[in-house]
Amino acid sequence: MTNIDITTLSRRSFMALSGAGLAAATFPQEIFAQSRGNILIIASGQDIPNFDPHTATGYSASFFLRNTYDPLVRVAGNPPEAVPALAQSWEASADGLTYTFALNPAAVFHDGTPVTAADVVFSYQRALRLARGNSWMIRGIVDPEGITAVDDHTVRFDLASPFAAFLQVIPWIFIVSKAQAEANAGADDSAAWLQANVAGSGPFTVRRAEAGALYHLQRAETAWQAGGGNLDGVIWQIVRETSTQRLMLQRGEVHMALDMTSEDMDSLADAAGVVRVIEPEYRTFSIKMNTAHGAMADINMRKAVAYAMNYQGMLDASGYADLMVGPLPTGILGHNPDMEVYRTDLDRAREHLAMTATPQGGITLRMAHVNGLEQQRRWALILLDSLQALNITLEIMPMNWPDMVAACQSPETFPDFFPVYQTANYGDPDNIAYAAYHSSRNGGWQNAVYNNPEADRLIETGRTETDPAQRIAIYGQLQDLLISDCPDIFGVLEKRKIGLRDSVQNYGFTPVAANAVEAWPLSL
Amino acid sequence: MIRFIVKRVVLIIPILIGLTVIMFVISRMLPGDPVGLAAGPNATAAEIAAYAREFGLDRPLWVQYWDYATGLLRGDFGVSIFTRREVAQDLATYLPATLELVFAALALAIVLGIPAGLLAAVYRNRWPDYLSSVSAIAAISMPRFFLGLLLQLFFAMWLMWLPLGGRFPIIWEPPTGITGFYTIDALLTGDFEGFAMACRHLALPAIAMSLSPLATIMRMMRASTLEVMQQDYVTTARALGLSQRLIIFKYVARNAISATLTVIGLYFGWMLGGTVLVETVFDWPGLGLYATQAIVAQDFMPVVSVAFVIGLLFVTANIVIDVLYGVINPKVRYE
Repeated sequence: MTNIDITTLSRRSFMALSGAGLAAATFPQEIFAQSRGNILIIASGQDIPNFDPHTATGYSASFFLRNTYDPLVRVAGNPPEAVPALAQSWEASADGLTYTFALNPAAVFHDGTPVTAADVVFSYQRALRLARGNSWMIRGIVDPEGITAVDDHTVRFDLASPFAAFLQVIPWIFIVSKAQAEANAGADDSAAWLQANVAGSGPFTVRRAEAGALYHLQRAETAWQAGGGNLDGVIWQIVRETSTQRLMLQRGEVHMALDMTSEDMDSLADAAGVVRVIEPEYRTFSIKMNTAHGAMADINMRKAVAYAMNYQGMLDASGYADLMVGPLPTGILGHNPDMEVYRTDLDRAREHLAMTATPQGGITLRMAHVNGLEQQRRWALILLDSLQALNITLEIMPMNWPDMVAACQSPETFPDFFPVYQTANYGDPDNIAYAAYHSSRNGGWQNAVYNNPEADRLIETGRTETDPAQRIAIYGQLQDLLISDCPDIFGVLEKRKIGLRDSVQNYGFTPVAANAVEAWPLSL
Repeated sequence: MIRFIVKRVVLIIPILIGLTVIMFVISRMLPGDPVGLAAGPNATAAEIAAYAREFGLDRPLWVQYWDYATGLLRGDFGVSIFTRREVAQDLATYLPATLELVFAALALAIVLGIPAGLLAAVYRNRWPDYLSSVSAIAAISMPRFFLGLLLQLFFAMWLMWLPLGGRFPIIWEPPTGITGFYTIDALLTGDFEGFAMACRHLALPAIAMSLSPLATIMRMMRASTLEVMQQDYVTTARALGLSQRLIIFKYVARNAISATLTVIGLYFGWMLGGTVLVETVFDWPGLGLYATQAIVAQDFMPVVSVAFVIGLLFVTANIVIDVLYGVINPKVRYE
């Protein structure tokens, strides 16, 4: 066996390592400066594991798809409105059953082939066939047979029933190249291929994808969209810690930080070169109550709790936020800001408690919340404190999200209180109303137990009515009914908090999918 | 020696089978509805059932395990039910990043910890000893994520010497993926600027990861050295008039290092599974973060596969350590 001379080795190793360390530490700073060009860098905590426009979900996927694919219409502005994308114009029949879209003849896929009506038909049928991703938005609204290519540049949708929010949901159904998808169909309807490849017509293509680290999009050579900004590319950089996102924004290493907390925004108040975007959006936070089982099945108990809740405490714990006025988000079509809603009133809380089976309280209720979500834990503690005034004990149960989803499967397993964030996928009251209060959602986490046939009827009427005035009236009735039924403690609307460098131009806030940034209008 | 190595390698097989069985069963017995979660909030019951069928989750558990175990032999680690990506593909992406970080941190801990421990023992109850003791306690006491944030503030924000996070400047193309270790790949391709970049990105997370093992290695080395220095042969060497330097480096250190090697082997396994906080703070796209996300979502295949890979690396590292005993100390031989 060879003898090892530790003395010599250690000294050499030590000197070599010291030299290397010193050299690394004293490299001139310029070597590490990044020559960016017009590349927008966005810091976000969410990875993009799936590129398939018809199966991917999450805001990071929405960002990716909005920039690499095109829908028929885009959503933009505040309040959000449908604006042309692949379709340069459209017509709706008077009865709201038929929509006809005229495609922009300039539109081409990244491989240079034109986007035709056949691609649109194929894409919608594929989305419905796979029944994943965003397809739920059009499921039951349009059948596969109801989508027709009238000619190469005209496509018609014959809806199963009128759907007022149709133009609000189609921005989330993206068009793939039929030829490319079919050439790579495999045995899974192109799912494996489209998961890692792009067959779109969006203004950007993928230059580099490093899972868990970054996604670099570059301006497509075939980009056909008129106007837009001067960006050569966009990088979606995954930065998991919000404090790191903030530091990178301050240092100018990123142009946008998407996951800012209220504390981060306060820290950025005087930061040079940073613009804070703090805007209300249609994302509600409520505490759902078990209307079907246990003590909370009693409407008077629900009202007692709703009146006992410390709303000011809830608001204070939420940072940049507004209290909800009823079940719908403020500012959305049909929302009535003048409704009388539950606010802290212990006398009325005790009046309702007196009408329950336990007029003196003395019971223990259970609230689940997502383990690790500090904001939900704070709200649970506020509810615990509020219920003490009614002599009711609250057991707080931190749970992993899969466990919470499992608990929603039946009224017996559903806890007394269940906090839920409801993100608006499209800017129409139907989105929140249908997901959060329609009984077809029972068993799922968005509406595990609430079931009122009258609410169902109003929600269904609201989505098929096409006259805006009528819809406002219908959603007014629905809000009154839900306040009367009190299935939730209507909580807060947290404001969207985004940090921007002041070099970012043409940024406009939209209260739907605000963190799925559409990059092509932006400039640096 | 060869016989010993073969015997140890064969023993790995039942260990890994046991590990996969336990992880497989536990991951599926946990309460929760990961399939419902993966299918999405708008999936109907029929769609959730179809989703489970697609991934074979409606079959008996032993059938699922058999498929998984036979797949492992072909290098097939299954598919994530959330991302629908091949787990083997994810492991190939994330494992090199974590290994590079762990090796760098361990190298730092060894290179600094062993001499510091030796020094503390030689200068027992003098200022080098006190300094190393206080530093070790401080290093062990400080949570790694907090240390990471402090390092970021000091070196990245104030001094602007080092980047805040990531493995490589995002505008630059990373070194070609030969090994997946950016530092090594850069050297192999002669990209010295890339090597410097990779080192700068590696520096802060490696320091944050290294302090706790460094302190342990230092304390262990100190204790072992003190013990060896009490041995008769050291007294004899002194009586023979050998220089202090020769005695310490040639006779004492060599015997004292065996116990420290055990700690290094154990730390390797601990660091592989414990990188998540540092990876989070420094956005290091490694296995720890991947595993944590999978555990929270109860994503079966990644959870079991990460446990399998870490287990495999851990037992391998300990075999290497066992072999090293014999290399460093000729008195230790295996039959």
